[in-house]
Amino acid sequence: MSEQSVVYVVDDDRSILASLESLLSSEGHAVQTFESGPAFLAAKRLDLPACLVLDVRLRGASGLEFQRELVLRGIMTPVVFITGHGDVPMSVAAMKAGAIEFLLKPYRDQDLLDAVHNGIEQDRRRRAQDSRMAELRERYGAMTPREREIMPLVASGLMNKQIATILQLSEVTVKVHRAQIMHKLRARTLADLVRIADRIATDTAEA
Amino acid sequence: MLFRSEPSTANRPVGRRHLVAAILVSLCLVAILAATMPYARTPTRNTEMVLPAYAAATFLLEVITSALLFALYNVRRSAPLLFLASGYLFSALLVPAWVLTFPGVFSAWGIEPGLQTTAAIAAVRRLSFPLFVLGFALAPAQRGLRLGGRAMVAPTILGVLALAAGILLAILSHTEILPTFMRDGRHVDTLWRYVPMLALLLYGAGIAVLFARRRSQLDIWVCLVLFSLMIEILLISYLGGAIRLSVGWWAGRLYGLAAASIILLVLLSETTAVYARLSRTVAAERRARQNRLIAMEALSASIAHEINQPLASMVTNADAALRWLVRPEPRLDRAEAALRRIVDDGHRANKVVSGIRTMFMKGTQERCALDLNALAEDAVRAASTEAREEGIAIETDLAGDLPPVIGNAVQLHQVLSNLIENGIDAVKSTAERGRRLVVRTRWEANGEVQATVEDNGPGIDPEVAGRIFDPFVSTKPSGMGMGLMFCRTVIEAHGGRQWASANFPRGAVFHFALPAAILPGSDVELEP
Repeated sequence: MSEQSVVYVVDDDRSILASLESLLSSEGHAVQTFESGPAFLAAKRLDLPACLVLDVRLRGASGLEFQRELVLRGIMTPVVFITGHGDVPMSVAAMKAGAIEFLLKPYRDQDLLDAVHNGIEQDRRRRAQDSRMAELRERYGAMTPREREIMPLVASGLMNKQIATILQLSEVTVKVHRAQIMHKLRARTLADLVRIADRIATDTAEA
Repeated sequence: MLFRSEPSTANRPVGRRHLVAAILVSLCLVAILAATMPYARTPTRNTEMVLPAYAAATFLLEVITSALLFALYNVRRSAPLLFLASGYLFSALLVPAWVLTFPGVFSAWGIEPGLQTTAAIAAVRRLSFPLFVLGFALAPAQRGLRLGGRAMVAPTILGVLALAAGILLAILSHTEILPTFMRDGRHVDTLWRYVPMLALLLYGAGIAVLFARRRSQLDIWVCLVLFSLMIEILLISYLGGAIRLSVGWWAGRLYGLAAASIILLVLLSETTAVYARLSRTVAAERRARQNRLIAMEALSASIAHEINQPLASMVTNADAALRWLVRPEPRLDRAEAALRRIVDDGHRANKVVSGIRTMFMKGTQERCALDLNALAEDAVRAASTEAREEGIAIETDLAGDLPPVIGNAVQLHQVLSNLIENGIDAVKSTAERGRRLVVRTRWEANGEVQATVEDNGPGIDPEVAGRIFDPFVSTKPSGMGMGLMFCRTVIEAHGGRQWASANFPRGAVFHFALPAAILPGSDVELEP
């Protein structure tokens, strides 16, 4: 497990850092500890599924501000908050900003471990999705402009003949393009193609 | 209680300002007198109708003044006030009879008493007031005198009423045997001449005694009253040629009115000022209480955090230790490390608690003569382990001739420890070589014993420089912001001062100065 994931802990209290490091590594997690937010940002982070355990009360910027900073920088690592004095508005703000858990000190070890586990799984799923998406983007990028033009028409269920009429091409040309599209996107059936086209459309819409 | 502790006209010592004010007012009075002199003997016509208004005004002014003075006596319980209040009351009570019997004023109502009645009443009023004032001037002012007591007010008022009633009754029922003060309705007879002379003598005596004693501001204002009355009688009886309803006579009456208002105005302005002060005090107290409440809330939140932190760490470490132990192949080294951290956390929590105890609990008032050098050495020794581990040198430069200071050993030790610990934390954060702390003591020429803790850390951030001694201001990650506030509180409670400055070429210096138990240059030695 330790090789496939990592847990980052950011807390300005050294003794809390040491205790968390010990607890998490007793469960086989690889742990990296930081005494401040900037130290975390400056460090070279591993390219692994990860979870960030963050103290709300940090020197300088608070944990909540640091969470916003992470979002701004596009760091998508799930955050588990720990705090000595949590109130409802604070936890709501943290959860809204995408934290997966908000634990009050002293927390039960199992709660923390579960939260960290969930965080890592969430990150793993996100990373897998990201890598699939990246692959799709690569395949999409390999297509010619003409193929990109024809793909949505094929996906919308039009016959070759209809596409040929719309684009004023010969039916044979459309057929060749269609085969290229299926090959480049590694779609075996029309249903595959529809699904891939859908995801690409969502992705480009988001971007 | 607040009201009692408030100084007022009746017991505040005479200030220069009041003396100058009183003298200025009397100069004004003399100036007006000089201006009236040339016309003093000119008679006026049909001015009798103004007389009732004048009498009503005098009566009200004197009654209100006397009421205020009785009220003041109730608070102050000083015998002189009782005399003055009685004087005003007695004088007021004679006014209605005087104006009712004045020749020609109420003749339409058929009141036409004997020629001498008005003059007799005037004579009694004229001579009795300075006698009451002399009583006021000569009565002993000490509190605790058996005259003090609420019950004295009612008997005094009743006594004054009875006296006034008795005298008026005597005058009105024996008009035929009254001395002949008046020749006719407007002109006095030779016998009257003795009345103003006697009155002037009494006024003079009153002014002399009051001015010589000058126990309070009130004395000065009563002097002014007597002075106005003197001018009144000069105008009425001499300059005005003792002719009733002449210009001089009326001018004199105005002085009488002024005399009646002086004490009233002084008392009223005093009352207003007292109420303003009172409301300001109440508002300030409410604000202070609010601030204390907020500070207490913040303090308890801060203490809760400070104790919760090691607790959280202890629980987590204990959980971790258990997990290391129950693994298929237990890791004793990791479990041991976790247990050691639990011990440290326990000590840390205890430090917080004992810090709070030093700050608030009983026993902090116990003071004795202390050797600050010994305390400094103790504190340095206590911190030396941590300093050595961090590679920080603590040097001491302690004055050999240091006199003892009076203080609480536990608290002062805590102050020195806090400052040294702050210094260690400060230099710890710098990576440079030669990290060190210097603890010095000195005997200053002004008789203060001064101790300083110098560090060559990053120095004080100018942004927080003005607030470092405030509660909850901390530059340290896990700082509660109580250390320096505690230090300053303790030092100030010892009659000392605490401040911070910059060190050269870098770092900070924290100073505190305490009064020495002996003066510089004296060779008195205290018991060790």
